[in-house]
Amino acid sequence: MFGGTVRGKRTTLRIPVEADLAAHARWAAELQMQRGGPGATWGTAVATATWKERFAEQAKDRGSVLWSIEAEGALIGSALVNYDGGATADTVGLRHFIIDPDRWHAGLGWDAALALHRWIFDFMDLRLAYTILPADNVHAIRILDRLGHVQFGLGHAVYYRDGAYADQEHRIMSRDTWKERWGATEREYEPLPAKAYL
Amino acid sequence: MHGPRLTGANGTELRPPTQEDAKQSAHWMLEPGPSRFWGGRAADLREEKIKERFQEGAKSEDQILWSIAYEGETIGFTGLFDIDWIARDAESGVFIGRSDLYGRGIGSEAVRLRTDFAWSELRLHRIHNWIALGNRGSRRANEKAGYRQIGLMQNVWFRSGEWHHGWLGEVFPPQDSSSPAPDAPLDPWLDRAGTVPPRRDEG
Repeated sequence: MFGGTVRGKRTTLRIPVEADLAAHARWAAELQMQRGGPGATWGTAVATATWKERFAEQAKDRGSVLWSIEAEGALIGSALVNYDGGATADTVGLRHFIIDPDRWHAGLGWDAALALHRWIFDFMDLRLAYTILPADNVHAIRILDRLGHVQFGLGHAVYYRDGAYADQEHRIMSRDTWKERWGATEREYEPLPAKAYL
Repeated sequence: MHGPRLTGANGTELRPPTQEDAKQSAHWMLEPGPSRFWGGRAADLREEKIKERFQEGAKSEDQILWSIAYEGETIGFTGLFDIDWIARDAESGVFIGRSDLYGRGIGSEAVRLRTDFAWSELRLHRIHNWIALGNRGSRRANEKAGYRQIGLMQNVWFRSGEWHHGWLGEVFPPQDSSSPAPDAPLDPWLDRAGTVPPRRDEG
Protein backbone atom coordinates (compact mmCIF):
# COMPACT_ATOMS: atom_id res chain seq x y z
CA MET A 1 0.00 0.00 0.00
CA PHE A 2 0.94 3.64 -0.23
CA GLY A 3 0.61 5.96 2.74
CA GLY A 4 -1.46 9.12 2.69
CA THR A 5 -0.58 12.57 3.95
CA VAL A 6 0.92 12.94 7.43
CA ARG A 7 2.17 16.42 8.21
CA GLY A 8 5.09 17.26 10.42
CA LYS A 9 6.25 20.76 11.23
CA ARG A 10 8.87 20.87 8.45
CA THR A 11 8.25 17.68 6.51
CA THR A 12 5.27 15.86 5.03
CA LEU A 13 4.84 12.16 4.49
CA ARG A 14 2.88 11.86 1.27
CA ILE A 15 1.75 9.28 -1.23
CA PRO A 16 4.61 8.13 -3.48
CA VAL A 17 4.37 8.81 -7.20
CA GLU A 18 6.20 7.21 -10.08
CA ALA A 19 8.39 10.29 -10.50
CA ASP A 20 9.92 9.49 -7.08
CA LEU A 21 11.49 6.32 -8.46
CA ALA A 22 14.47 8.23 -9.84
CA ALA A 23 15.37 9.29 -6.30
CA HIS A 24 15.01 5.71 -5.04
CA ALA A 25 17.33 4.58 -7.83
CA ARG A 26 19.84 7.22 -6.79
CA TRP A 27 19.65 6.33 -3.07
CA ALA A 28 20.00 2.62 -3.82
CA ALA A 29 23.11 3.35 -5.89
CA GLU A 30 24.89 5.24 -3.11
CA LEU A 31 27.22 3.12 -1.03
CA GLN A 32 26.70 5.16 2.13
CA MET A 33 22.97 4.40 1.97
CA GLN A 34 23.67 0.66 1.96
CA ARG A 35 25.50 0.67 5.29
CA GLY A 36 22.41 -0.69 6.99
CA GLY A 37 22.40 -3.85 4.90
CA PRO A 38 20.00 -5.05 2.20
CA GLY A 39 16.91 -3.50 3.84
CA ALA A 40 18.39 -0.05 4.33
CA THR A 41 16.83 1.27 1.13
CA TRP A 42 13.74 0.23 -0.78
CA GLY A 43 15.60 -2.57 -2.55
CA THR A 44 19.00 -2.61 -4.19
CA ALA A 45 20.00 -0.83 -7.39
CA VAL A 46 18.12 -2.24 -10.38
CA ALA A 47 17.03 -1.26 -13.87
CA THR A 48 14.29 1.35 -14.35
CA ALA A 49 11.73 -1.23 -15.44
CA THR A 50 12.27 -3.18 -12.22
CA TRP A 51 11.69 -0.05 -10.13
CA LYS A 52 8.34 0.30 -11.88
CA GLU A 53 7.53 -3.32 -11.10
CA ARG A 54 8.43 -2.74 -7.45
CA PHE A 55 6.19 0.30 -7.41
CA ALA A 56 3.23 -1.71 -8.78
CA GLU A 57 3.87 -4.56 -6.32
CA GLN A 58 4.07 -2.13 -3.39
CA ALA A 59 0.72 -0.61 -4.37
CA LYS A 60 -0.86 -4.07 -4.07
CA ASP A 61 0.96 -5.20 -0.92
CA ARG A 62 -1.53 -5.18 1.96
CA GLY A 63 1.19 -5.93 4.51
CA SER A 64 3.24 -2.76 4.24
CA VAL A 65 2.93 1.00 3.70
CA LEU A 66 5.34 3.17 1.72
CA TRP A 67 5.62 6.95 1.92
CA SER A 68 7.65 9.59 0.23
CA ILE A 69 8.95 12.36 2.50
CA GLU A 70 8.86 15.92 1.30
CA ALA A 71 10.25 19.20 2.64
CA GLU A 72 9.80 22.64 1.10
CA GLY A 73 8.11 21.03 -1.90
CA ALA A 74 11.02 18.71 -2.69
CA LEU A 75 11.37 14.97 -2.23
CA ILE A 76 13.87 14.35 0.57
CA GLY A 77 13.28 10.79 1.68
CA SER A 78 11.15 7.71 2.06
CA ALA A 79 9.74 5.47 4.79
CA LEU A 80 8.32 1.96 4.75
CA VAL A 81 6.58 0.14 7.59
CA ASN A 82 5.39 -3.42 7.48
CA TYR A 83 2.62 -4.95 9.54
CA ASP A 84 4.08 -7.79 11.54
CA GLY A 85 1.83 -10.75 10.85
CA GLY A 86 -0.35 -9.21 8.17
CA ALA A 87 -2.75 -6.35 7.77
CA THR A 88 -4.62 -7.10 11.02
CA ALA A 89 -1.44 -6.93 13.12
CA ASP A 90 -1.07 -4.45 15.96
CA THR A 91 2.69 -4.22 15.55
CA VAL A 92 4.71 -2.57 12.79
CA GLY A 93 8.33 -2.83 11.84
CA LEU A 94 10.07 0.26 10.52
CA ARG A 95 11.66 -1.35 7.49
CA HIS A 96 13.42 1.61 6.00
CA PHE A 97 13.64 5.29 6.78
CA ILE A 98 15.72 7.30 4.35
CA ILE A 99 16.67 10.94 4.29
CA ASP A 100 18.62 12.10 1.24
CA PRO A 101 22.30 12.50 2.26
CA ASP A 102 22.25 16.05 0.90
CA ARG A 103 19.64 16.90 3.56
CA TRP A 104 21.25 15.19 6.55
CA HIS A 105 21.95 17.04 9.81
CA ALA A 106 19.13 19.57 9.33
CA GLY A 107 16.61 18.05 11.74
CA LEU A 108 14.37 16.78 8.93
CA GLY A 109 14.79 13.14 9.93
CA TRP A 110 13.56 13.90 13.43
CA ASP A 111 10.57 15.84 12.16
CA ALA A 112 9.54 13.09 9.72
CA ALA A 113 10.12 10.33 12.29
CA LEU A 114 7.90 12.10 14.81
CA ALA A 115 5.16 12.46 12.19
CA LEU A 116 5.48 8.78 11.25
CA HIS A 117 5.14 7.73 14.91
CA ARG A 118 2.09 9.98 15.25
CA TRP A 119 0.55 8.00 12.39
CA ILE A 120 1.52 4.70 14.07
CA PHE A 121 0.22 5.47 17.54
CA ASP A 122 -2.19 8.38 17.42
CA PHE A 123 -3.86 7.69 14.07
CA MET A 124 -3.60 3.90 13.74
CA ASP A 125 -3.58 3.12 17.49
CA LEU A 126 -1.03 0.35 16.97
CA ARG A 127 0.50 -1.29 20.03
CA LEU A 128 4.18 -1.57 19.15
CA ALA A 129 6.71 -0.27 16.65
CA TYR A 130 10.13 -1.84 16.33
CA THR A 131 13.18 -1.36 14.21
CA ILE A 132 16.52 -3.01 13.58
CA LEU A 133 19.51 -0.90 12.60
CA PRO A 134 23.30 -0.72 12.69
CA ALA A 135 24.58 0.01 16.19
CA ASP A 136 26.91 2.69 14.81
CA ASN A 137 24.10 4.72 13.21
CA VAL A 138 24.29 7.24 16.03
CA HIS A 139 22.06 9.84 14.39
CA ALA A 140 19.18 7.41 13.92
CA ILE A 141 19.66 6.03 17.43
CA ARG A 142 19.52 9.54 18.85
CA ILE A 143 16.18 10.08 17.09
CA LEU A 144 14.86 6.75 18.37
CA ASP A 145 15.98 7.56 21.93
CA ARG A 146 14.22 10.90 21.77
CA LEU A 147 11.03 9.30 20.49
CA GLY A 148 11.05 6.73 23.30
CA HIS A 149 12.36 3.58 21.66
CA VAL A 150 14.25 1.23 23.98
CA GLN A 151 16.76 -1.42 23.06
CA PHE A 152 15.66 -5.04 23.35
CA GLY A 153 18.41 -6.86 21.53
CA LEU A 154 21.95 -6.62 20.20
CA GLY A 155 23.15 -8.75 17.30
CA HIS A 156 26.90 -9.12 17.04
CA ALA A 157 28.92 -8.67 13.84
CA VAL A 158 25.88 -8.41 11.54
CA TYR A 159 26.70 -5.80 8.87
CA TYR A 160 29.80 -6.13 6.74
CA ARG A 161 31.27 -2.92 5.37
CA ASP A 162 34.56 -1.03 5.34
CA GLY A 163 36.27 -4.40 5.67
CA ALA A 164 34.78 -5.18 9.07
CA TYR A 165 31.60 -6.21 10.82
CA ALA A 166 29.31 -3.86 12.75
CA ASP A 167 26.75 -4.78 15.41
CA GLN A 168 22.98 -4.45 15.11
CA GLU A 169 20.56 -2.86 17.58
CA HIS A 170 16.95 -3.95 18.04
CA ARG A 171 14.67 -1.17 19.27
CA ILE A 172 11.03 -1.04 20.29
CA MET A 173 8.47 1.57 21.33
CA SER A 174 5.01 0.98 22.79
CA ARG A 175 1.79 2.94 22.47
CA ASP A 176 1.94 3.57 26.25
CA THR A 177 5.30 5.26 25.84
CA TRP A 178 3.93 7.37 23.00
CA LYS A 179 0.99 8.50 25.12
CA GLU A 180 3.22 9.29 28.05
CA ARG A 181 5.79 11.27 26.06
CA TRP A 182 3.86 12.72 23.18
CA GLY A 183 0.16 12.14 23.79
CA ALA A 184 -0.45 15.62 25.15
CA THR A 185 1.25 17.49 22.34
CA GLU A 186 1.26 15.31 19.24
CA ARG A 187 -2.25 14.62 18.04
CA GLU A 188 -3.36 14.13 14.49
CA TYR A 189 -6.62 15.92 15.32
CA GLU A 190 -7.69 18.24 18.11
CA PRO A 191 -10.46 16.82 20.34
CA LEU A 192 -13.91 17.44 18.90
CA PRO A 193 -15.98 20.06 20.73
CA ALA A 194 -18.68 18.70 22.98
CA LYS A 195 -21.38 20.06 20.67
CA ALA A 196 -20.12 17.78 17.90
CA TYR A 197 -21.82 14.90 19.67
CA LEU A 198 -25.19 16.55 19.99
CA MET B 1 16.49 -23.12 -3.39
CA HIS B 2 16.36 -26.54 -1.87
CA GLY B 3 19.06 -28.01 0.35
CA PRO B 4 20.71 -31.37 -0.24
CA ARG B 5 20.04 -34.57 1.68
CA LEU B 6 21.74 -34.53 5.09
CA THR B 7 21.56 -37.71 7.15
CA GLY B 8 21.71 -37.37 10.91
CA ALA B 9 21.25 -39.44 14.03
CA ASN B 10 18.05 -40.89 15.56
CA GLY B 11 16.50 -41.60 12.17
CA THR B 12 16.45 -37.85 11.37
CA GLU B 13 17.23 -36.60 7.90
CA LEU B 14 16.99 -33.29 6.05
CA ARG B 15 16.05 -33.68 2.42
CA PRO B 16 14.89 -31.51 -0.48
CA PRO B 17 11.18 -30.76 -0.10
CA THR B 18 8.65 -32.11 -2.55
CA GLN B 19 5.40 -30.46 -3.54
CA GLU B 20 3.59 -33.14 -1.55
CA ASP B 21 5.65 -32.12 1.54
CA ALA B 22 4.65 -28.50 0.99
CA LYS B 23 1.00 -29.47 0.90
CA GLN B 24 1.35 -31.52 4.09
CA SER B 25 3.22 -28.72 5.88
CA ALA B 26 0.55 -26.19 4.98
CA HIS B 27 -2.07 -28.39 6.61
CA TRP B 28 0.07 -28.97 9.73
CA MET B 29 0.26 -25.22 10.23
CA LEU B 30 -3.50 -25.18 10.70
CA GLU B 31 -3.42 -27.76 13.50
CA PRO B 32 -3.66 -26.58 17.14
CA GLY B 33 -0.57 -28.49 18.38
CA PRO B 34 2.08 -27.29 15.91
CA SER B 35 0.57 -23.80 15.59
CA ARG B 36 0.73 -23.00 19.30
CA PHE B 37 3.82 -20.89 18.72
CA TRP B 38 3.47 -20.38 14.98
CA GLY B 39 1.31 -18.22 12.77
CA GLY B 40 -2.37 -17.43 12.82
CA ARG B 41 -3.80 -20.84 11.85
CA ALA B 42 -5.25 -19.49 8.61
CA ALA B 43 -3.93 -19.91 5.09
CA ASP B 44 -4.81 -20.10 1.43
CA LEU B 45 -4.67 -23.85 0.85
CA ARG B 46 -5.80 -23.94 -2.77
CA GLU B 47 -3.72 -26.40 -4.76
CA GLU B 48 -2.45 -23.71 -7.13
CA LYS B 49 -1.38 -21.45 -4.24
CA ILE B 50 0.58 -24.24 -2.56
CA LYS B 51 2.23 -25.04 -5.88
CA GLU B 52 3.04 -21.36 -6.43
CA ARG B 53 4.62 -20.99 -2.97
CA PHE B 54 6.57 -24.21 -3.45
CA GLN B 55 7.94 -23.05 -6.79
CA GLU B 56 8.83 -19.62 -5.42
CA GLY B 57 10.77 -21.29 -2.61
CA ALA B 58 12.59 -23.54 -5.06
CA LYS B 59 13.56 -20.60 -7.27
CA SER B 60 14.56 -18.27 -4.45
CA GLU B 61 18.26 -17.54 -4.15
CA ASP B 62 18.19 -16.13 -0.64
CA GLN B 63 16.80 -19.12 1.20
CA ILE B 64 17.58 -22.82 1.53
CA LEU B 65 14.73 -25.13 2.42
CA TRP B 66 14.58 -28.71 3.64
CA SER B 67 11.94 -31.16 4.68
CA ILE B 68 12.64 -32.94 7.94
CA ALA B 69 12.15 -36.69 7.73
CA TYR B 70 11.97 -39.08 10.66
CA GLU B 71 12.40 -42.78 9.91
CA GLY B 72 11.79 -42.01 6.26
CA GLU B 73 8.60 -40.01 6.70
CA THR B 74 8.34 -36.24 6.27
CA ILE B 75 7.32 -34.69 9.59
CA GLY B 76 8.25 -30.99 9.26
CA PHE B 77 10.52 -28.48 7.62
CA THR B 78 13.46 -26.23 8.33
CA GLY B 79 15.47 -23.65 6.47
CA LEU B 80 17.79 -20.67 6.27
CA PHE B 81 15.95 -17.56 5.16
CA ASP B 82 16.76 -14.01 4.04
CA ILE B 83 20.35 -14.97 3.42
CA ASP B 84 22.52 -11.89 3.10
CA TRP B 85 25.33 -13.21 0.91
CA ILE B 86 27.50 -10.15 1.60
CA ALA B 87 27.32 -10.16 5.39
CA ARG B 88 26.91 -13.97 5.21
CA ASP B 89 24.08 -13.82 7.72
CA ALA B 90 20.78 -15.72 7.62
CA GLU B 91 17.64 -16.24 9.69
CA SER B 92 16.72 -19.78 10.63
CA GLY B 93 13.50 -21.58 11.44
CA VAL B 94 12.30 -25.07 12.24
CA PHE B 95 8.80 -26.54 12.34
CA ILE B 96 7.80 -30.03 13.45
CA GLY B 97 4.31 -30.67 12.16
CA ARG B 98 3.78 -33.96 13.99
CA SER B 99 3.19 -32.85 17.57
CA ASP B 100 2.98 -36.52 18.64
CA LEU B 101 6.72 -36.74 17.92
CA TYR B 102 7.78 -33.83 20.15
CA GLY B 103 10.47 -34.61 22.72
CA ARG B 104 12.39 -37.15 20.65
CA GLY B 105 15.26 -34.87 19.72
CA ILE B 106 14.24 -34.62 16.08
CA GLY B 107 14.23 -30.81 16.12
CA SER B 108 17.65 -30.74 17.82
CA GLU B 109 19.13 -33.03 15.19
CA ALA B 110 17.55 -31.02 12.37
CA VAL B 111 18.99 -27.78 13.78
CA ARG B 112 22.41 -29.40 14.21
CA LEU B 113 22.45 -30.63 10.60
CA ARG B 114 21.27 -27.30 9.25
CA THR B 115 23.80 -25.32 11.31
CA ASP B 116 26.73 -27.55 10.34
CA PHE B 117 25.73 -27.19 6.69
CA ALA B 118 25.68 -23.40 7.03
CA TRP B 119 29.28 -23.39 8.29
CA SER B 120 30.85 -26.18 6.30
CA GLU B 121 29.14 -25.80 2.92
CA LEU B 122 27.81 -22.23 2.72
CA ARG B 123 30.60 -20.51 4.67
CA LEU B 124 28.04 -18.36 6.47
CA HIS B 125 29.33 -16.09 9.22
CA ARG B 126 26.26 -15.89 11.46
CA ILE B 127 22.73 -17.26 11.83
CA HIS B 128 20.03 -15.62 13.91
CA ASN B 129 16.47 -16.46 14.86
CA TRP B 130 13.37 -15.49 16.81
CA ILE B 131 11.67 -18.09 18.98
CA ALA B 132 8.69 -17.84 21.30
CA LEU B 133 10.19 -17.75 24.77
CA GLY B 134 7.65 -20.34 25.92
CA ASN B 135 8.64 -22.73 23.13
CA ARG B 136 11.18 -24.43 25.34
CA GLY B 137 11.71 -27.35 22.95
CA SER B 138 12.69 -25.15 20.04
CA ARG B 139 14.84 -22.91 22.22
CA ARG B 140 16.71 -25.89 23.66
CA ALA B 141 17.21 -27.39 20.20
CA ASN B 142 18.82 -24.15 19.05
CA GLU B 143 20.87 -23.66 22.21
CA LYS B 144 22.29 -27.16 21.85
CA ALA B 145 23.55 -26.15 18.40
CA GLY B 146 25.27 -23.11 19.91
CA TYR B 147 22.63 -20.38 19.62
CA ARG B 148 22.91 -17.81 22.34
CA GLN B 149 20.41 -15.22 23.55
CA ILE B 150 20.91 -11.67 22.27
CA GLY B 151 17.59 -10.10 23.15
CA LEU B 152 14.05 -10.42 24.43
CA MET B 153 11.10 -8.76 22.72
CA GLN B 154 8.39 -8.51 25.32
CA ASN B 155 4.70 -9.13 24.64
CA VAL B 156 5.12 -9.97 21.00
CA TRP B 157 1.83 -11.75 20.63
CA PHE B 158 -1.21 -12.76 22.60
CA ARG B 159 -2.53 -16.29 22.71
CA SER B 160 -4.88 -18.14 25.07
CA GLY B 161 -5.09 -15.26 27.52
CA GLU B 162 -1.43 -14.47 27.93
CA TRP B 163 1.28 -12.41 26.33
CA HIS B 164 4.28 -14.23 24.92
CA HIS B 165 7.78 -12.87 24.61
CA GLY B 166 10.15 -13.38 21.69
CA TRP B 167 13.61 -14.85 22.31
CA LEU B 168 16.28 -13.58 19.94
CA GLY B 169 19.32 -15.74 19.35
CA GLU B 170 22.42 -15.91 17.20
CA VAL B 171 25.16 -18.42 16.53
CA PHE B 172 28.60 -18.18 14.95
CA PRO B 173 30.85 -20.84 13.48
CA PRO B 174 33.19 -22.56 15.95
CA GLN B 175 36.37 -20.55 16.48
CA ASP B 176 34.86 -17.48 14.82
CA SER B 177 36.41 -14.42 16.40
CA SER B 178 33.00 -12.63 16.46
CA SER B 179 31.52 -15.29 18.67
CA PRO B 180 31.33 -14.60 22.41
CA ALA B 181 32.79 -17.43 24.48
CA PRO B 182 30.14 -20.04 25.35
CA ASP B 183 30.31 -19.16 29.05
CA ALA B 184 30.61 -15.40 28.55
CA PRO B 185 28.06 -13.31 30.45
CA LEU B 186 25.15 -11.76 28.57
CA ASP B 187 25.60 -8.27 27.25
CA PRO B 188 25.61 -5.94 30.26
CA TRP B 189 22.68 -3.86 29.03
CA LEU B 190 20.52 -7.01 28.91
CA ASP B 191 21.33 -7.80 32.53
CA ARG B 192 20.61 -4.22 33.56
CA ALA B 193 17.25 -4.32 31.82
CA GLY B 194 16.33 -7.16 34.15
CA THR B 195 14.09 -8.65 31.53
CA VAL B 196 16.05 -11.69 30.55
CA PRO B 197 15.18 -15.01 32.17
CA PRO B 198 17.94 -17.51 32.92
CA ARG B 199 19.62 -18.52 29.70
CA ARG B 200 19.98 -22.16 30.70
CA ASP B 201 16.78 -23.32 32.30
CA GLU B 202 17.18 -27.08 32.33
CA GLY B 203 15.99 -27.23 35.92
